[in-house]
Amino acid sequence: MNTRDLVLISLFAAIVVVLGLIPPITLGFIPVPITAQSMGVMLAGCILGAKRGALAFLLFLLLVAIGLPVLSGGRGGLVVLQGPSGGFILGWVVAAFVTGLIAERTVREGQAETRQFVGFFLASVLGGIVVLYAIGVPWISFVTGTPLLAAAGGSLVFIPGDLLKAAIATLAARAVYAGYPLLPARA
Amino acid sequence: MLTSLHIEGNSLLHRLPVRVKLIALVASSIVLFLSSSLVLQAIAFAVAATLYLSVGLPLKEALKRVGFVFLTIFFLAAVNLFLLPVSDVAALTLRLMALVLFAAAVTATTTISAFMDEITILLSPLERLGWLKAADVSLALGLVLRFVPDIFARYEAIREAHRARGLPVRPLTIIGPLIILTLKDADTIAAAIDARGFRRQ
Repeated sequence: MNTRDLVLISLFAAIVVVLGLIPPITLGFIPVPITAQSMGVMLAGCILGAKRGALAFLLFLLLVAIGLPVLSGGRGGLVVLQGPSGGFILGWVVAAFVTGLIAERTVREGQAETRQFVGFFLASVLGGIVVLYAIGVPWISFVTGTPLLAAAGGSLVFIPGDLLKAAIATLAARAVYAGYPLLPARA
Repeated sequence: MLTSLHIEGNSLLHRLPVRVKLIALVASSIVLFLSSSLVLQAIAFAVAATLYLSVGLPLKEALKRVGFVFLTIFFLAAVNLFLLPVSDVAALTLRLMALVLFAAAVTATTTISAFMDEITILLSPLERLGWLKAADVSLALGLVLRFVPDIFARYEAIREAHRARGLPVRPLTIIGPLIILTLKDADTIAAAIDARGFRRQ
């Protein structure tokens, strides 16, 4: 890994920390506040690609684990990983990787703008929602004993908010791609 | 801006080495998950609560640190009451609360540098395989801590610029510029790191 990659990973992890400091935005029509931080997974994959995106989140996870209050609302420490939502936090690394993998394969320069939007949205939804829930929900079910179907049903509440986040991440990722492309081009 | 969750003190947990605490945390997770005994979970909860309250955190702060996780645990316990026998729900809830309290106690009694030393040791097999360098991990961590205040200041500046132009402050219009401006610094920072020979390559 060259120094530039190392710096990109660190800077992105720092951006994710800052996204957690931004006060959450409550929208009238869904009950869950939108924290900019959970959008970070989609953004990391779409902007840095699979490997660097996952490493940025691995670094972020390290910050959480060693007791820095970097999660939104000033949370942090091993508590978060040991609690019921720990699977989602650990799942962020895999989710960022899958998001990046899909984005690398669907988006390239010279494509029509719409195709790039579709690629980033697909990557954000499959990586940032499908993969993330595929790890987080069974985890909840395992640690709390809640039957899998009940845990999955309860998580449906968060899906509309997540789709909205995927849409925002798509627009932001495409803006970054147009202004400062970093996504590794596949040979 | 980022103050560690570590608390100064001289309790039993403060004096134990990080490795012992982490191994104990993992071991107690495994034991508690393997056992379905209500008595064992209750004892574990009592021990963890005593340990956590003895680390020297003011009660209000101590409750604040675990409160948000406890809320999710209680919510899921309430759901479970409709689906599982009461004794199972009690055991599951006590187990999770015990582990969360124990984790909070480990976090509160361990300094960041102690964690980093342990991580460096854990990474050394990977280093021998040539997969990564432990020094790079410390460097990356240092970079994050160094740049969070700068990036936050940049966020504030972009927000002010929006306000000055009478534009609504929306995540969408802020995140793009914030990321571009920040990542554009990467080349300069990388050049500075290489120029100083921090990575010796």
